Amino acid sequence: MTKRRLMAAVLSTAMAASALFAAVPVQAEGPEEITWMFWDDLQATTDTTSLGYAQVLERFNAEYEGQYHVTAITTNLEEYDGKLNALIAAGQTPDVYICNPGPNMDVYVEAGAAADLTDILTNQEADWYATFTDGIFDRMTYDGKIMGIPTCFQAACVYYNTEMFANAGVDVPTTFDELLTVCQTLQDAGYTPISCSAGTAWCLSMIAGYLCDRQGADLNAIAAHEANWTDDVFVQAATKLQTLSQYFQPTAAGDSNDQATAAFYNEEAAMLVQGSWVIGQMNGASDTIEDKCGVFQFPAIEGGADPNRTIVKTDNLLMSSTTEHQDAVIALMKMFTDETAQKYMAEVAGKFPINKNVEIDYDVAPAQLKYVQDIMANATGTLGFYNESLDSVEAGDCFDNAMVDVFLGNQTPEEACQTIQTYYEDNVWE
Amino acid sequence: MKKNQMNKTRKPLSPVMIVIYVLLVLLAVVYLAPLFWMLMVSVKENKEVMSAPFGLPTTIHWINYQEAWTLGKLGIALLNSVLVCTVTLIFSLIFGSMAAFAIARMRWKLSGAIATFFMIGMMVPVHCILIPLFVRFAHLGLTNSRFGLMLPYITFSLPMTIFLLTGFFKSMPGELFESAAIDGCGIYGCFFRIALPLCRTGFFVSGLMTFINNWNELLLAMVFISDPARKTLPVTLTYFVGPYATNYVQMFAAIIIAIAPTIVVYCLFSNQIVEGLTTGAVKG
Amino acid sequence: MDKILRDKKAICVFIAPALIMFVVILIIPMIQMLYYSLCDYAALTPPKFVGLANYKKLFFKDSTFKIALKNSIFFMIFSAVTQQIIGVLLAVFLTNIPKGRNVFKNIYYLPCVLSSAALGLLWAFLFNPKIGINQLLAKIGIEGPLWLMDSKGFIVLPMWVIAFVALWQYVGQNMMLYMAQITGISRDVYEAAYIDGASKPKAFRYITLPLIKPMMITSISLNCIGSLKFFDLVYNMTQGGPNHRTEVLATELYAEGFNYFKYGYASAISVVLLVLCLVVTLLVKKVIKVETYEG
Repeated sequence: MTKRRLMAAVLSTAMAASALFAAVPVQAEGPEEITWMFWDDLQATTDTTSLGYAQVLERFNAEYEGQYHVTAITTNLEEYDGKLNALIAAGQTPDVYICNPGPNMDVYVEAGAAADLTDILTNQEADWYATFTDGIFDRMTYDGKIMGIPTCFQAACVYYNTEMFANAGVDVPTTFDELLTVCQTLQDAGYTPISCSAGTAWCLSMIAGYLCDRQGADLNAIAAHEANWTDDVFVQAATKLQTLSQYFQPTAAGDSNDQATAAFYNEEAAMLVQGSWVIGQMNGASDTIEDKCGVFQFPAIEGGADPNRTIVKTDNLLMSSTTEHQDAVIALMKMFTDETAQKYMAEVAGKFPINKNVEIDYDVAPAQLKYVQDIMANATGTLGFYNESLDSVEAGDCFDNAMVDVFLGNQTPEEACQTIQTYYEDNVWE
Repeated sequence: MKKNQMNKTRKPLSPVMIVIYVLLVLLAVVYLAPLFWMLMVSVKENKEVMSAPFGLPTTIHWINYQEAWTLGKLGIALLNSVLVCTVTLIFSLIFGSMAAFAIARMRWKLSGAIATFFMIGMMVPVHCILIPLFVRFAHLGLTNSRFGLMLPYITFSLPMTIFLLTGFFKSMPGELFESAAIDGCGIYGCFFRIALPLCRTGFFVSGLMTFINNWNELLLAMVFISDPARKTLPVTLTYFVGPYATNYVQMFAAIIIAIAPTIVVYCLFSNQIVEGLTTGAVKG
Repeated sequence: MDKILRDKKAICVFIAPALIMFVVILIIPMIQMLYYSLCDYAALTPPKFVGLANYKKLFFKDSTFKIALKNSIFFMIFSAVTQQIIGVLLAVFLTNIPKGRNVFKNIYYLPCVLSSAALGLLWAFLFNPKIGINQLLAKIGIEGPLWLMDSKGFIVLPMWVIAFVALWQYVGQNMMLYMAQITGISRDVYEAAYIDGASKPKAFRYITLPLIKPMMITSISLNCIGSLKFFDLVYNMTQGGPNHRTEVLATELYAEGFNYFKYGYASAISVVLLVLCLVVTLLVKKVIKVETYEG
């Protein structure tokens, strides 16, 4: 107690001095101020999505001038969670903040840092709610409560170089066996079949995730411990990953995500498995790739599960549970999801709108977007990125790392599955 | 040998010296090549960094510097960094030298224990006290201010400063202080008139380390400061790292802008100090 | 003399400012950290006391912790040995060469001035299989290893790579410390020794070495603490990967705390790290005995 008093005394003297350096902003009769926290700088960024968000903020501040005003708090991706946690722990939760779906969002929802939006969406703003794509709120619903608003969604598909395919005389594969044949033919024709990064573990894990799903893995059963990681489906999937990895570029083990993507758009490799954010990135970096790039659904595995499921993810906005400016926050969220913002998302950033009334002008949008759209139209279901669909962020990393070990040959598929199994036994299922 | 050491007139170099020089030059190449590479990258285009990272730039894009300066808001960040680091430097040297003097020179039972106690400060990983520290500062309204950043910076610099300066104070001959005392110097006189002036090298070395550590400190600055007008350089450097792709060219341009002042200041001061010392030693 | 050196009031005046700041800003959060290490704590919700559960898990169940501990200790020993030897050698060379002392000194010190983040990125580029050193090696017909991904052996190759890069970056620091000390040694002492017929190596052995001994404790302690706490280069070059094989204590606690939101567990790792630092520093002090000037 005395300690605390002493400290308070010392620091309050310090605070008096601090007035010299930091002018404490005095809130006069101004607009309602809200903050929005994001993981990329809005001016220096080259990311088209971030630039789109910056435009939303500008529009918001212009349209509601005198009434509301939003300020962005930005960090880079790596320090984002650390800073957000510190702010939340200190009771300074930003009014709106962006969040990945899955275990990451679970953390904030379970900590009570996110507001329940169910009532607002279903009663007060039913018109707004009706504009959202059906089923988009599924991964944001906890015990029947909607905890977040999506701003866009992205799908993972296989991008391929049509020119290389034509030169090698191969067609788009629809089954895993065909994929292997295509890879072999491409390799014989002197091309690198697939560009992938094991240096950035989640890139490799995206392929692994697809293989598991196609093979028939059921993550709900895993979560409930009705299935085991050592089950045949996972071992089979890991084995297929190992088989497929012989067709990766020779430097896949060390290449970063940037490099693997560059290898595809610089036309050094024939195929790339990536999320649709890559569309804007590759078209921005290469003038020729848009005309040569095709997209296909990740192939089926014979005897496996439904081959039309697609890996998707959304960017989500959460509202602070302690915000005093709910109206301003809702107004901002609406602006993120209105037609202007959503059109930009699709036509410039190559991400899918979550507003079903938006008409994408496919003449303006990147060509690849249309191809992905066609795949999505045939999709019978979606699943999350594997590392974002497991029990915790750590469990996701455990899966990613096990797959990297399979690829590097440090563990056999059986051993790798056993590693994940052990992790689950020790940490998740106990 | 003896003559060589004494007067630096032109003498043919001994074979040993030649070997040493060759080694030193080789080492210098190892040190300079990466920096040269950074310079090269900073004037390239992003595409070129990926396709030919070690080639010479085909055309020189000075625009990278200009864009890095405006987009990274480097002007204001530079100012903030200078302000925060200078104030930190001054206070950590003052407080640090006082404590170090008491530990190294004065006689009291707890001096050894206190020295060890301060050393603990170097061993605490900053990641783990970040959240408690931030929560405390937030309650006191000290987050999002440059002053609020200086306080932990000064504190984190103290252990190293005290540790180094204790070493320097300890190596001073005790007779100096004794004769001063005989001349009627009080304890404060001993400190200000004898210990401090003699400790120039110590100040330089520990000041340099403090300054550089704080100049490059990212985590605290990132978490504590949200207002773009108060961010320091390392924070603004991360602007160029995007979620999916990094803007290498502008980032390296910004890094070069960020390190230039440190290098200039360092070269200026280090040469002065070394010269001062050499003359001092020769006279002595 | 003795009286003024025992002036209690003066001691208080000298120590107080540093001590107060130190206790308020560092020690109190540190005590909180000690408490959190006994809790299940996710930063966002209040801590839940769980006793020694975190430590039990750390020592008996966590295989990553074992790797991190092994790597950290390897890294400490490697750094302490190589940096001291090369640091002293450089300092002696540079103080003895007739020309170019400042130029060389400034060059070797340069990397210390740079941010580890930038250097980590730079070296990650250099050791990248597609664009780095391996391309140069390939030209002379050698197939370079996977510098940052190889996972065989007791101490994996990426760990060695990181250790060498750290040596490259920080050896200038030691060199500076020793140079500061050596240039402080009066030239007369050497003159006298040479007149008595001492050779240079002898002068080094009997004059330089004993006189820089106090600095050696300082420098080795700083080295050991610095390398046990080492974070930046590892984080920027490998992020602890592949599959945690290059994890060190600091990166592990970062991952546990900031990626997995297990602050309680991360605090427990910090406590282990702190104890380790303390033990090592005390050992260094015990092993190198120094006679100080007694005034």
